[in-house]
Amino acid sequence: MQTYAKPKSIKENSSFTFCSGCDHGLAIKLVAQVIDELNIQRDTIAVSSSGCSVFLYDFLDVDCVEAPHGRACAVATGVKRAHRAKGNNKIVFTYQGDGDFASIGLGESIHSALRGENITAICINNTNYGMTGGQLGPTTPMGQITATSPLGRNKEYHGFPIQTVQHIAICEGTCFCARVALYDIKNIYNAKKQIKKAFEYQQKGLGFSFVEILSSCPTNWKLSPIDSHKKIEEELTKIYPLGVYKDIDHE
Amino acid sequence: MAHIEINSNLCKSCYLCINACPFGLIKKSAETGKTGEYTVEFYDKEKKCTACASCAMSCPDIAITGVFK
Repeated sequence: MQTYAKPKSIKENSSFTFCSGCDHGLAIKLVAQVIDELNIQRDTIAVSSSGCSVFLYDFLDVDCVEAPHGRACAVATGVKRAHRAKGNNKIVFTYQGDGDFASIGLGESIHSALRGENITAICINNTNYGMTGGQLGPTTPMGQITATSPLGRNKEYHGFPIQTVQHIAICEGTCFCARVALYDIKNIYNAKKQIKKAFEYQQKGLGFSFVEILSSCPTNWKLSPIDSHKKIEEELTKIYPLGVYKDIDHE
Repeated sequence: MAHIEINSNLCKSCYLCINACPFGLIKKSAETGKTGEYTVEFYDKEKKCTACASCAMSCPDIAITGVFK
């Protein structure tokens, strides 16, 4: 008996283009498993962004729109509303990195949450701009050395990092938001549970749902994949606490 | 008999599966993969595998393509 198989929503003969040990692959796999479990492969439209997440359409076997430079939530809004006007209830989700969601696209993201747009946003937070060579991003913690902060992030020159989930949580249109990590098997299953919840809330039409995933970037952190996961467990979860920040079903 | 299937062509030698297996049944193999690093192999002489799929769930490249009980 087979207890685990490759998700059906992942394209056959596709192989991820990510670096060794990158959590992007894990996150895409969890999204694909959730799409399989909810049986919504034919009704899902993904919106991918710029950054390492740009090649999403190469891996996921669902309809996909490319929305460069932070406009994923705005494009998802249009896709959702256009289909709703025709009477189609499509599941629309965005898959973005932290640079895309919280830096260049922060306006689109926050205002989608404020409008209570009935979409799901998934944000991969790896604390730097991974694809362009590990520059300082909006979520880089204080003291982290990156390509553009060789002495570490300091408040005088770079300012403070953004707490994305907390900002989305105070928007009134948000129905669900959570921060999860992928550093061990327990957290992987928890991440899948929260992603599934975010999709289910969209199916019920409750509003904007958001999941931030703390992810590793072994290449730019200059650590091994296993040490990167240790760093997330020991350092990053102290700066970015995990948990569900808003859930309107429990209020 | 519980076992897993590994597609060595997809393996990028991150070794997260070695860490994930609760019984330590996955080890580095003697063969190198596409990245030039040693890939992994399943080694279960004492038949300890319970098909929990922890290795497959933690593989970022879906190189562990199936878990069988």
